[in-house]
Amino acid sequence: MEQEDIEFICDSLERMFQDADLEAIDRTGGDGDDAAQFWSALEESGYPLLAVAEAEGGLGASIADCLPIASLCGQYGVPAPLVDAVIARALCAQAGLSPSAMRIGLATRDQGRLSYGSQVEQALLVDQGQCRLLAISQDVLTPLELGEDGASLIDLGKVQVLEECDAPNWLTPESYRAVGAAIRSAQMAGAMRRILDTTLSYTGEREQFGRPLAKFQAVQQLLSDMACETAAAAASVELASDAMRADLQLGPSVMADIAAAKIRCGSAAAIVAANAHQAHGALGFTWEYSLGRFTRRLWQWQDEFGAQRHWASVLGDYLLSDNEANLWEWVSA
Amino acid sequence: MFEFPRVKLGAEELALRSDVRQFLADERANGGFAPVADCWVSAASPEFSQKLGSKGWLGMVWPKRYGGQDCPPLHRYIVTEELLAAGAPVAAHWVADRQTGSQILRFGTEEQKQEILPKIAAGECYTAIGMSEPQAGSDLAAVKTSAVKTDKGWKLSGRKIWSTGAHYSSYMIVLARTSPAEGRNRQVGLSQFLVDLSLPGVDVSGIKDLAGIAHFNETLFEDVELPEDALLGEEGNGWAQCMGELTLERSGPERFLTTFSLLSEALPAIAKNSSDAVRAEIGEMAANLRALRRMSLGITKKLEAGDNPETEAVVVKEMGNRLENEILARLRHIVSALPCDDLPDGFSSLMRSAILHVPSNTLRGGTTEILRGIIARKLGMR
Repeated sequence: MEQEDIEFICDSLERMFQDADLEAIDRTGGDGDDAAQFWSALEESGYPLLAVAEAEGGLGASIADCLPIASLCGQYGVPAPLVDAVIARALCAQAGLSPSAMRIGLATRDQGRLSYGSQVEQALLVDQGQCRLLAISQDVLTPLELGEDGASLIDLGKVQVLEECDAPNWLTPESYRAVGAAIRSAQMAGAMRRILDTTLSYTGEREQFGRPLAKFQAVQQLLSDMACETAAAAASVELASDAMRADLQLGPSVMADIAAAKIRCGSAAAIVAANAHQAHGALGFTWEYSLGRFTRRLWQWQDEFGAQRHWASVLGDYLLSDNEANLWEWVSA
Repeated sequence: MFEFPRVKLGAEELALRSDVRQFLADERANGGFAPVADCWVSAASPEFSQKLGSKGWLGMVWPKRYGGQDCPPLHRYIVTEELLAAGAPVAAHWVADRQTGSQILRFGTEEQKQEILPKIAAGECYTAIGMSEPQAGSDLAAVKTSAVKTDKGWKLSGRKIWSTGAHYSSYMIVLARTSPAEGRNRQVGLSQFLVDLSLPGVDVSGIKDLAGIAHFNETLFEDVELPEDALLGEEGNGWAQCMGELTLERSGPERFLTTFSLLSEALPAIAKNSSDAVRAEIGEMAANLRALRRMSLGITKKLEAGDNPETEAVVVKEMGNRLENEILARLRHIVSALPCDDLPDGFSSLMRSAILHVPSNTLRGGTTEILRGIIARKLGMR
């Protein structure tokens, strides 16, 4: 997809995000009329089929093309499984599965997780050379610790398999997890941008000791770190996106760049969330104030599709796989 | 907020890079150098600098008529990052190639350009930075060194400090006051001078660093008579010129690669012996390095486009300084568990020198606190 097409889609989605009261939808946990209305608007837009081939009724985007959209969703704290549905539909189409639902999620075997579990009707699972389409109902789900956006553990022994077929050769459980890691990295990068903006405006307005918090050097240093980390996270997502674009089948070097993005976004997220809460004081710690919508998601996304440590091992193994390991060649590639 | 444009290396750049890699591999094999941490400050080798000069790898971005190669900044970036990653002895020419030469090209007289730039490009002329003073460190506008107009030119008095390599340098660009501050605005009335360090009245004395090595100096100017054309650029424009020079000083890959050559040297031993946890640590450092290098490369693109990457340079330096110290801290733990025999000869002295250089990473070229202040200003907080 051309850069300008991606920008057009981002613009039109951004208008939809601005028109909807996403914060209010979030408060209802994705239930209720507003949520339903928001989702049907998304469905009508056709964007859930963004990465399905044009011949099959989609818009023909690649997964790399979807990363800027994932970032945008992260930036707006979109309380709906849009990004996961885009990826799930794309992979189903490639595998030859034909899901009836648009609200469809990405399930993983190793951690037994399903993001947006309470919000999706069906889910894709890539497992032992097979792609399986699962029927999702509440009785196979257990909410996770943070459970943002309905993220749940899924009982894969109990879940009903609607359809299954051979997975495309490139789509192994590991590359499937990498796709998830790439989109979560992009979502984190977007959320961090938003958290930085929110914290900048708050510290610019809130006064203590007769001047705005932003005028205190100690506070400036918190924000400076946030800005640096946010920029580094975005850079790592861009590298992953470029690598994915160059090799749609996610060869080992693409996996390394995705690993690097998930690691870098994860470490950035830890600093950005902590500093934002520090700068906001007790207000940021309330349910009411919007900061938590983004920091809770950051923490959730850090853990999904392989936490930082998992990907650090993957990348370390890749770089040290033989004794001739040349770290510099990779860093400067 | 910050812009780090994408850069794709083309065939020409890749060919240049493989030339540099080959040259470095040959030099190492021939005993031309052994890797050193903090090589751009602590490893001066005029012989090595001259070899680079004869390769055409110094002053690359300057016009050919001044000894340069008319290359885009990207080419210079590729050469410098390879030299740094290898820990090559580049300290002698570093300041001259990075900033002094470019300031001369921009603000110097035709005569100065013809006289000095070809020598720098040949790796034969070295320079030092004349910004900090005993009473003016982070608060640079507090400099007291002054230059007074005379019949023949200028008379320079004062002292500069922390001037790395002044003892082997021919020139120093000195920031001096030429007229009083206007009330609280101390950034006016400052000018830059290109000072020949062999002039009478200049006294360079070494200061030993934490490792006991005198790589930096205090430079005293006692009523030094400067010719008229020693004024670099415009009288009173010294602050702005100096900020431009600082961007050149801060924007390069040396701000995150200081300890990289150690990691590289230890890597085969790590690969041979490592646990899962150590491999994951390598993965974490690598991820961080790759993102920073991507950003650093983007700065070069901005320089190429004629944009001012001041804040971007500060962002990379601030994070880069943290990373290079983190690499060393992690490496100390990792290496302590490895069999000594697996590590290359001389590794422990390499380690010692790196450890003793750590405190300066987050000080020179602007302390972390000053850098964060610059970023905060860009964020609109001050």
